Amino acid sequence: MEKILIVDDSEMNREMLSEMLEHDYEILEAADGKEAISILKDNITCISLVLLDMIMPEMNGIEVLDVMKKSGWLVDLPVIMISAEESSDVVHKAYELGVTEFIRRPFDQLIVQKRCQNVISLYSKQKKLAGLFADQFYEREKDSRLMIDILAHIVEFRNNESGMHVIHVQNYTEILLKQLMQLTDKYDLDNDKISLITKTAALHDVGKICIPDEILNKPGRLTDEEFKIMKSHSAIGSQMLADLSFHKDEPLVKMAYTIARWHHERWDGRGYPDGLAGDDIPIAAQTVALADVYDALTSERCYKKAFSHATALEMIIKGECGQFNPLLIDCLNTAAEEMRLVKEGGSTPNAEYDVREFALDLLKSNALYSSDRLLHLLEYEKMKNRFFEGITGGCSFEYTAKSQMLTVSANAAKTLGIEETIIDPIHNEQLIGIFGKEKLRELKAKFRSLPPDNPITQYNFHIIATEKANEESSSYIFRITDVSESGVNCPASARHTVYKLICRAAFTIAEPQRYTGVIGKLVPSESEYGIMKGVDLNDLTGVL
Amino acid sequence: MTLRECYDSIGADFDGAVKRMCGKESMLAKFAKKFPADPTYQGLVSAFESGDIPSAFRMAHTLKGLCLNLGLDKLQKSSSELTEALRNTESPTPNAAELYEIVKRDYEATINAINSADV
Repeated sequence: MEKILIVDDSEMNREMLSEMLEHDYEILEAADGKEAISILKDNITCISLVLLDMIMPEMNGIEVLDVMKKSGWLVDLPVIMISAEESSDVVHKAYELGVTEFIRRPFDQLIVQKRCQNVISLYSKQKKLAGLFADQFYEREKDSRLMIDILAHIVEFRNNESGMHVIHVQNYTEILLKQLMQLTDKYDLDNDKISLITKTAALHDVGKICIPDEILNKPGRLTDEEFKIMKSHSAIGSQMLADLSFHKDEPLVKMAYTIARWHHERWDGRGYPDGLAGDDIPIAAQTVALADVYDALTSERCYKKAFSHATALEMIIKGECGQFNPLLIDCLNTAAEEMRLVKEGGSTPNAEYDVREFALDLLKSNALYSSDRLLHLLEYEKMKNRFFEGITGGCSFEYTAKSQMLTVSANAAKTLGIEETIIDPIHNEQLIGIFGKEKLRELKAKFRSLPPDNPITQYNFHIIATEKANEESSSYIFRITDVSESGVNCPASARHTVYKLICRAAFTIAEPQRYTGVIGKLVPSESEYGIMKGVDLNDLTGVL
Repeated sequence: MTLRECYDSIGADFDGAVKRMCGKESMLAKFAKKFPADPTYQGLVSAFESGDIPSAFRMAHTLKGLCLNLGLDKLQKSSSELTEALRNTESPTPNAAELYEIVKRDYEATINAINSADV
């Protein structure tokens, strides 16, 4: 049964709507905006519709919508505003924020039922279509990649090599181009173009199909004459593509031509076949050339042993394999670690991610769109996180910058006596009571300034727990101060412990990386966490 | 007194309310009976008397909504007027106190009638 969340501060209103809908739907209820956000956060994948009242204490309907929009929930989850509000300002604002429909008081059962039903079916159809489209697109994309890979493999097969060369060159090309796109907009690169170049990079050596076996697989040094024949593969490959009687004008064929012909040109004009120099060599060919050289150096060949990553890098930078575009050398340096990981087979750039991204871009130009699959993944990670948290204890938190939403673990909320979900934590009274206004601001600024390449930081805090008077012994008032603060002022009865707050800033996956928030955990300073160096955190869950 | 008679006596729209509930008199009866126990009115009284205008505005607004749903037209009209008088919570209109008294009067009449209806 589909679930509907009813958010209204009046119990009677909720009851009335619930009675009108409970026959067809499972009903969840929230009495105010904060409760709504916390229910949504935990059930975002299984709620089909939100009925939202406008005027509520604490956090009104508009504020709830704002958080939902910033969290990217409104893409998949429709909201119907319920209101007796006549003022068109409010109605406009609500539509602006992405409300799908309005239901006015007085409630008319038939209208309420029909409107809910229509909105839910509209959204579920849209969701299904988006999924279908992405899957089909991926299928077709997969087929075309498969064909190219088979063809490239046939060429390489004659080369008595493993078939990894083509895949490596593609991967390195993609890594270098992504760096280049970040570094400069000089080459007019975008994700589509990079995908095309990467795909067709597989065909860079297609001309080798015409090189005789004994030259192709000669273990020793080639004679001048043999080398000349070997070198002809780039011209031959491009000629083969130019001679196609059909598809000649397809972007893919044009790109394959570019790469096949010019991937042995060099920046200083000393390459072949045309002796092009500088940016007269198309950037696609320049990049594949560098990727090709890096892979040739780091792989074993019939005529040589494999060099290490570091040696290969040094040889390229010193110009031992010809001159390359200095910008590409920059990219190589920046992406060196990523290249090394791919070389060692530890990771491959995720093609499926790009396809999905593309499909979603097409459907929604909304960067925060999360498909069902992603949301389920997230849900799973959250469940995992909660489970481990339950076993290991500790207080962890997660802050999302865009929606200004702070979520703390159940344990932390209970221990510190704060709510699990806090919107706009900087102005939250409970947190100000514990940390002080200044400290909160300082922490926020500090998190924001953490760089993507060094996103982890830690603080030491005194946590002073004073037993609340006239209450059960398990109840404490907490205050947190810097360890460096001299003369910590606390009553003799108070316990105070030094804790470490270990935090990691999070960034967008897409380049350029932007700060999206921070995750962290509060652990006793003496615990083993304290001595871990370079703590590595899982991006999604914050599990240590 | 039947619920219909009760509605007629306080200027409420019985037929309209029942129609909106797909003709189910029992549903209207159920919610009308709950109305006297609903905390919204008490909330309005304590907010208004303590000068907490933002809360008083919200409560008057909620009360108006409940009356709309239950077809309590007369109380809906007075609570609606009070809502508008309080909408600018910084400076309510001068007649707010007067309108508040009317809401009190209509509310008393309404719950007296509902409590005496046999449902």
